[in-house]
Amino acid sequence: MKDFLLEINVEELPAGYVRPALDKLKNAFIERLKAERMAHGDITVFGTAAVLICRVKDMSLKQEELSREISGPPKRIAFDENNKPTPQAIGFAKNQGSDVKDLKIKQTPKGEYVFVVRKIKSRPAKEVLQDIVPDIIKSISFPKTMKWDDSGARFGRPIESILALLGRENINIKIGNAPARLVKAASVEAYLKKLEKSYILDQDKRKSEIEKMISAAQKKLGLDEYTDENLLEETTFLVKSPVILAGDFDKRFLAVPKDVLAASMSKYQRIFPLFKNGRLVNKFIAIIDGKGRDTGKMKKVYANILEARLKDSLFFYDEDTRKPFSDLTPKLKDLIFHKDLGNMFEKIQRLEELSSFISDRLSVSAVGKEDIKRAAYLCKTDLVTQMVGEFPSLQGVMGMEYSLKSKEKESVAIAIKEHYLPKGMDGHLPETTEGAILAISDRIDNIVGLLGSGIEPKGSFDPFGIRRNSQGLIQIIKHKGFRIDLSGLIHEAIRLYNTQEQCRGRPRPPTAISQEELEKKVVNYIKERLEFLTPDTMPSELKQAVLKSDCNDIVGVFKRVKALSGISSEKYFLRTAKVCERTSNILKGAKGEKLGAVNEALLKEALEKDVWKAYTANSRAIENLIKEEKYEEATRVYGDVFFEALHKFFDKVFVNAEDSSLRENRLAMMQAINKLYTLDVADLALLPQIIIR
Amino acid sequence: MKKLTFQEVIEKLNKFWSDRGCLIVEPLDTEVGAGTFHPATFFKSFGKDPWRAAYVQPSRRPCDGRYADNPLRLQHYYQYQVIIKPTVPEIRKIYLDSLKFLGVDIKAHEVRFVEDDWESPTLGASGLGWEVWLDSLEITQFTYFQQVAGIELDLVPCEITYGLERICMFIQEKFNLFDLEWHNGVAYGDIHRRQEIEYSKYNFEEADIEIYAKMFEYFEKEANRLADKGLVYPAYSFVLRASHAFNVLDARGAVSQNERPRYIARVRGLAKRCAELYLDNKP
Repeated sequence: MKDFLLEINVEELPAGYVRPALDKLKNAFIERLKAERMAHGDITVFGTAAVLICRVKDMSLKQEELSREISGPPKRIAFDENNKPTPQAIGFAKNQGSDVKDLKIKQTPKGEYVFVVRKIKSRPAKEVLQDIVPDIIKSISFPKTMKWDDSGARFGRPIESILALLGRENINIKIGNAPARLVKAASVEAYLKKLEKSYILDQDKRKSEIEKMISAAQKKLGLDEYTDENLLEETTFLVKSPVILAGDFDKRFLAVPKDVLAASMSKYQRIFPLFKNGRLVNKFIAIIDGKGRDTGKMKKVYANILEARLKDSLFFYDEDTRKPFSDLTPKLKDLIFHKDLGNMFEKIQRLEELSSFISDRLSVSAVGKEDIKRAAYLCKTDLVTQMVGEFPSLQGVMGMEYSLKSKEKESVAIAIKEHYLPKGMDGHLPETTEGAILAISDRIDNIVGLLGSGIEPKGSFDPFGIRRNSQGLIQIIKHKGFRIDLSGLIHEAIRLYNTQEQCRGRPRPPTAISQEELEKKVVNYIKERLEFLTPDTMPSELKQAVLKSDCNDIVGVFKRVKALSGISSEKYFLRTAKVCERTSNILKGAKGEKLGAVNEALLKEALEKDVWKAYTANSRAIENLIKEEKYEEATRVYGDVFFEALHKFFDKVFVNAEDSSLRENRLAMMQAINKLYTLDVADLALLPQIIIR
Repeated sequence: MKKLTFQEVIEKLNKFWSDRGCLIVEPLDTEVGAGTFHPATFFKSFGKDPWRAAYVQPSRRPCDGRYADNPLRLQHYYQYQVIIKPTVPEIRKIYLDSLKFLGVDIKAHEVRFVEDDWESPTLGASGLGWEVWLDSLEITQFTYFQQVAGIELDLVPCEITYGLERICMFIQEKFNLFDLEWHNGVAYGDIHRRQEIEYSKYNFEEADIEIYAKMFEYFEKEANRLADKGLVYPAYSFVLRASHAFNVLDARGAVSQNERPRYIARVRGLAKRCAELYLDNKP
């Protein structure tokens, strides 16, 4: 056994490519070595932007032995009566590269057959590696690849050279025109030790070293201990031997909004902004590569470049704030929202109305409503500012800053910023009512518009973020506890699009779908996300059951899910579920029949009269419990009232009677009982078959 | 070592690349946004014939004017462009040698290759490479071309575009480019400050939108007319003029977000037409 090492030297890859490439490299080695029957120990990967290394410990020096039986013709065909091999046997042996003498006879379920045992040659490690390593390297995929010479090879950036060491032996690996790098080393370990002397080999160690350096410096300067994770990760792969450099810049640039400052530093210069008590200070940290640099001079260069950039930001800021912020809003007419859905100015007009609609539903005060409407008018205006043109990630933030600068109300400014929330999966949510209502309006407008013009996510491809919008919508409504009727909201959003289309004569896109179809689709997307957002600890059937009932009130959905999962192992819950299941099963047979109200005069049997009595005596109480959201209690009462009564009823009474009026009446009764619970709580018939002992 | 003046930096780069087999060609006399627009790069990127050239290209970026008030931004500046086709494996080392040759101490300062997937939407050109940073100042754009005019290239050229002012700032340790010494004690600002102020005013405030919009149409029409006659170079010169007219309109704030992609697509379409014509009629 020997250690094996592969080192791919490459012209600097984008820092973000390195970690995924290392993961792929490791997995490809595991897979291919297994397929080639090469035993080995631990596999470790190391990397920077300029080198990808994989070390395989204790690799066997040849493939594991393998022999395979290959089945040939039946014995009766292969050998004649004198037990002499026939031409068939000779042909088979020849095809398999063996001698007739070596043919074996084996009993199989189909009778006696001829076999050869073929030994598969066990190849030496070196030969196997020369075979598989080029494939492994080629299997590393990147978001973008390139060619650089006439060999046709593609990679994230040009490959400079390849080093492969098996123990102390250099192995030649061919990829395109890339030359082999040859080294003299006593062993793989000795070679890695030598590398370790010139830089920190292991990326995770390097990352934590950098983090330690930064927090030590922050402590020393009396600043907040905070490190931008994205920049830290990127820096980890940009530098090999990190050295810290702390500098400062002219205080006057602190007049630039804090997010602009932070973006200028981290995105454009890859330096770390610093904070004291949450406020940005005129200092920065840079992580540079390699000792022996003239850090005194470098500090000055870094500061000068930063200041020149900030001067530019100040220029944008001054240009953007020359006029009141709201003067820029009509420019949104030039900004397209989506080719079939008009411009951004039309969008904010819809948002004004939609947010007012929601404000009314939630009984927001008159002042609040005015503020939300104002925020709706201004919420997209920063898209036409120079600052957002330069720093697109600052949308919303600049809207807030510029609104405040133009003396808009603070609640308006905050709502503008908040309406973009949540940004990521676990991002912050809008906290103010104004921000939340505007955020809901924007999302429902997006979902309705895009789905309505025939755009839909395909698999994981969701370029317009329809799923993300649906998810955000649910999160906001849940977070704020807004009790709002979803279908009413969808309806209004569609109405606003239609009104605009008519007023402006905007043609409906050919891919547009009908209104009912659209409403159904929107609800489906939201339901899909609802299921996704309920806790994983809940059985998925229970989620489905709740979602099958009324979902117009999202807050209610979460309440029901929570309540039912708390009692799902209680006996009364199971009884209720059984009632749902039995009534639902019997109703399946009634498809197509018109079931009206129950006619008491048609109730004949004592047992069915009992059931109906139980219904009339308790339905109001159960409905009230549901209305009051006392789901545990409602479930208990429902189970208590109907389980026994129905048990007896089904035992003795034949629902599907010959007499159609009797049958329909009984089915109508079953339907009333079923709907009493399943309409607004959960359709527990969807749970797996319920057995009650 | 004496610090090089702006003029000497150009001389030294000419010497350096001339010694490495480059033809030193002269700047294009039409307004362009970058050295890539020069026919010595645009047309010569195509085909299987090796090509090595280097040249200074005065470049105009109307949107980048700052009324001579920003130490790093100009609406008119100088690129030093090198094009090596096909690229050679040691090209990055040669590039670093060129920095040393200019007296940049790359041991004391950090050279960093920061990913940049370069793209010129108007030329339909794209490539992979880096911004080269010297202590976080971008001094060079380094690109392996993959496509020009939307056409996949036979040989991969390497384009090295030095920002002459930026490198000079470093060499002369002056962090305002107007203070750079051009030569003999004359400052860059002495030559360019007034131009910068006046052109910033022109690009942002004075350029006649109506005339420029019409000029764009005329240039486009003329480019097409000449292309119809197979006159590739004259047609291409009108593509460049159209491109510049678009840039001025853009700086004047006369291009809406809506129209922008359409303008760009029109220029790209013309550039592609010229490239195809060039390839068809190659002698």
